[in-house]
Amino acid sequence: MDALLADLMDSASGHADYADVRHVRSTTERVGTRNGAVDRIERSDEQGVGVRVRVRGAWGFAAVRGAERAGAEAALSRALEVARAQPRGPAFPLADNAPAVGTHDAGLDGTDPFAVSLEDKLDALLAADAAMRVDPLVAVTEAGFFAHREERTFASTDGALCRQRLGECGGGITATATDGAETQVRSHPASFRGQVSQAGYEHFAGLELAAHAPRAGAEAAALLSAPPCPDGRTTLVLDGEQLALQLHESVGHAVELDRVLGSETSYAGGSFVAPGDVGSLRYGSPLMNVTADATVSGGLGSFRWDDEGVSAQALPIVRDGVLRGFLSSRESAARVGMDRSGGCMRASGFARQPLVRMTNVNLESGDAGSLDDLIASTDSGIYMETNRSWSIDSHRLQFQFATELAREIRDGELGRLYRNPSYAGITPEFWGGLDAVCSRSEWRLWSVLNCGKGEPGQAIRASHGTAPARFRDVRVGVA
Amino acid sequence: MKPLETAERALATVPAGVEAQATVIAERSLLLRFADSRPTQATAVDDLEVEVTALRDGHAGAAVTNATDAESLRRCTASAVAAAEAAVHLGAPGPFPGLPTPAPARGHDGYDEATAALEAARGGQALQAAFDAAGQVGAEAHGIWTAGEIETAIASTAGVAASDRVTDAFMKVVAVAPSGRSGYAAQTAVAGERLDPAEITARATGKAMATGGEATLGPGEHTVVLERHAVAELLAFLGSLALNGLAFAEDRSALSGRLGSRVAAARVNLADSPRYPGTLPRAFDAEGVPKAPLALIQDGVARAVVHDSRSAALCGTASTGHALAPGGAPDGPAPTNLVLIGGGAEDESALCRTIERGIYVTRLWYVNAVRPKETLVTGVTRDGTFLIEDGEVTRPLADLRLTDSVLGILGRVEELSADSALTGTSEFYGRRFATGVVAPALRAGAVRFTA
Repeated sequence: MDALLADLMDSASGHADYADVRHVRSTTERVGTRNGAVDRIERSDEQGVGVRVRVRGAWGFAAVRGAERAGAEAALSRALEVARAQPRGPAFPLADNAPAVGTHDAGLDGTDPFAVSLEDKLDALLAADAAMRVDPLVAVTEAGFFAHREERTFASTDGALCRQRLGECGGGITATATDGAETQVRSHPASFRGQVSQAGYEHFAGLELAAHAPRAGAEAAALLSAPPCPDGRTTLVLDGEQLALQLHESVGHAVELDRVLGSETSYAGGSFVAPGDVGSLRYGSPLMNVTADATVSGGLGSFRWDDEGVSAQALPIVRDGVLRGFLSSRESAARVGMDRSGGCMRASGFARQPLVRMTNVNLESGDAGSLDDLIASTDSGIYMETNRSWSIDSHRLQFQFATELAREIRDGELGRLYRNPSYAGITPEFWGGLDAVCSRSEWRLWSVLNCGKGEPGQAIRASHGTAPARFRDVRVGVA
Repeated sequence: MKPLETAERALATVPAGVEAQATVIAERSLLLRFADSRPTQATAVDDLEVEVTALRDGHAGAAVTNATDAESLRRCTASAVAAAEAAVHLGAPGPFPGLPTPAPARGHDGYDEATAALEAARGGQALQAAFDAAGQVGAEAHGIWTAGEIETAIASTAGVAASDRVTDAFMKVVAVAPSGRSGYAAQTAVAGERLDPAEITARATGKAMATGGEATLGPGEHTVVLERHAVAELLAFLGSLALNGLAFAEDRSALSGRLGSRVAAARVNLADSPRYPGTLPRAFDAEGVPKAPLALIQDGVARAVVHDSRSAALCGTASTGHALAPGGAPDGPAPTNLVLIGGGAEDESALCRTIERGIYVTRLWYVNAVRPKETLVTGVTRDGTFLIEDGEVTRPLADLRLTDSVLGILGRVEELSADSALTGTSEFYGRRFATGVVAPALRAGAVRFTA
C-alpha cells in the first residue's frame, strides 16, 4: 500500500499544485436489542482510496472502493478532471507543516472487541434490556454495542507517508415509557447510542449497563407523572453529558475556522466569531477554559496526525473566558495569517474529503469539588441531566436544549423530579454566567457520535471532556 | 458486472435452508461546493456496497462489504449467517416475520442518461452561472451543485430478483448581500438539465438584497407563511416521528390509536406517492416490496402510517413498501415520497394577503424533535425571513426560533398555494439516497415562536 500511495503522489505532482491520498480500511460492528429480542446485528467491512488534488486554486477529490492500483489511478484522473472543470478561484496558500512520517496505534490495547463472541455481547445487552423493564409503563427498551477499527494510510506530494490504526468501543441503554399521552426517555450512560471511547472491550464492560438499567427504567416511568419543568430564569446546574453537547454546539462548531471564514455558509452555516476576535472576544466568564486536545488518551478525536498529515496538538481555544484560538486546516490557517494548521482536518471514511472538524474540545475542570459539593453550594435552581434535544442557529449564537431529566435544587439539595426540561440562551451570555466547574475528579470524556457537517454529509465521532458546572440566570422551561 | 448479478452471486453463497437477502447498491456521484462565489470543494464518488441479511427464527443478521470478489462475498455471507445464528441461541423467536415474496414493481421515469454521465464540465458551468448571476447584483453565491446515479439490486431466497436505476440532480444557492443578509433558493429534479442555475441564484439574491431595515419580533404566536422548503422540513419530521409504523406500533407516535380521527385541518391532504409528477421515483423499498401510493392524511383525517415488514407484523398488517433496511432499520420505516396537495392560493403573495402582521419563512434550520409523541419540534428560520404587514412582505426580519407541534401547525393551516414543487435534500450522509417532499407553500395561524 505504501508503494502504491507514494507512486500515486509522484504521478500527481506533475499535474497538481498539491495532492494527498488516503487509503482507509475499516470494520464496524453494531449489535442492538429491543424489547428483549435481538433487534439487529450488523458487521461492515470496507476499504477504498480517496485522492485530493488542488489545481490552480480549485480542489478536486475522487474516491474509489478497493485498493487496486488501477482504481487509485482512475481516482487521481477523476480528481484532476473535477478540479480543472471548476471556475478559476484564488489559490490560497497552505500553511507549512512537517511531512507526517511513521506509524501510530491507539485504542488497540486490551481485549479486541471483535474477538469477543456475539453471544457474550448479546447476553450483556439482553441482561440490561430486561433489567430496564421495572415498570409496566416502560414500553420500549433498547441496548446497543458498537465497535470500530480503522487503518488509515496517508501520503502527500509534500512527502508525507504515515499509517494509523485506531480502535473504538462502547454502548448504551435507553428506556422509553409512555402513558398514551406522552413519552419519557432515560438513557445510560449517555443518550443517542451511548458512550464510546478509543478503547478495547473493557470500556464497554465497564459501562455496567445491567447495573444501571433498573434506574433508567424507573426514572423513565416516574417522569410521566412528574410536574413539568417550571419556566423562568434561574440557576442551572448541568451534568457532564449535557454540558459536553452544550460545549460542542456553542463553542466547538463556532470556532471552526472554515465556518468563521464563510466556507460552510451553504450548509452548516457561519459563526458569530470573527477572524480578528482572537485575544479580544469575551466568550464567557473567567472560569471558562477550553482546549481542543487531539492528544488526550481515549478521545474519539484523538490521533497522531490529522487527515492532512498535520501533527495532533492541544490548542488553547478559550483562556480565562477570552477567545484564544481556532480549529483550523492548512488552508484556513494560512488565510488568517497563522503560522501553522491546528491539525483539525478529519474525514469520515475514504469516500469523503477532510474538513475542519472538532478533535476533543474540552472544558477544563475547576475547583468546585464533586457534583454533590456543587449542589450543596447552590441555594436554589434546577439540575438537568442527559441530552434529549438540541438546536442552535446557523451562527452558533441562539440555542435551545432539552434534557431527559431535571430536579429541583433547594437549599443545597436535590428535590423533586421535573419532566420535559429545557433551557435556552445566547452563547456568550450563557457562558458568561458560568460561576462554578467541578474538580478534576468529576471530569471525564463524553462522546458525541453523530456530528454532521459537509456536503456530501459526513458524520464523525468526537469527545468532549467536561465536569458538571453551574450557570447563573438561565432561561428554563422554554419548550 | 451488473449489480443484480453481484447480488445473485452473493445469494449463491448462502447455505441451504437459510433465508437471506442480498442487496447491492452502486453509487456514482459528483458534488461541487462553492462559497463567496468561488469553488471550495468537489467530491466524486464511485462505490458499491453488498449487504447480506440472513434470517434465523425471526432474527436478522447483516453484513456489509464493498468488495465483490468471491472470497469477500463468501465472508460477508458467513458473517451475516453467524450473526443470525448467534441470536438463535437465545431461544425466543425474533420479531422479523420473514422476507417478502416477489411482487411486480411498476416502472418509472426516474432515470436520466445524461445526468448519469456526471459531467464535471456541466457542474463547472452551473457554478459559473451562479457566480455571474450573483455578481450582477453585488451578492456572493454559496451553495452546491450535485448529480448522482444509484442502482439498487435485490436478490432473495424468497424469489425477489429486481433492480432499479435512478438519477437525481440538485442545486442550491445561499446568496449573501453586502449587508450580511442571506437568501435561499434550490431546485431538485431527476434530470440535471431541469436545473436553472441563473434562475435559482436570482431567487436567492432577490431575498438577500431585499431592502428595508431589519425588524425584530419577540416570542409569541404569529400567523406565518411557510415557503415549500419550510413545509417540507416539517413534513419530513412528521414522517419520521408520527407516520413511522414502528413508533406507531410502540405507542410512541402521535397517531397511535388515532387513525380515523381528525389530526389536521380539513384542507390538509398528505400522501406518499412514489410516482407523483416531479418527485424522485423508486421502484421498490429496501426489502424489495414495490412502491405504491398511500394516503396518509385525507381531508385532515389520519388514514395510515407507513410500514416495513417488521412494523407491519407488529401491527398485524402488510408492509406498505417503506423499509429503509432489510429486516427493518433501527429507527423504523419512513415515507420517502411525501406529497402535500396544494390549495387555492395563487402563490405566496396571495397567502400573505389576509395577514395584518405576520412572518414569512423561507426555510428552517437545525430542526430537532423536542417531544416526539407530540410532534413538538424546534428550529430556527434562516436565509429569508420577512415581516408581513397589511397583506404584504414589507422588510427583512431577524431570524426567530419556531417551537411548535407539526400536527398542531397542520391543524391551523388556513390556506395552501396551488403550485407545488419538489424540495430535496443535499445532506447524503452515508450512501446517497435522494428523497424529497412535494409541497406547496402554506399559511398557518398561531404558530409558536420561543425566541
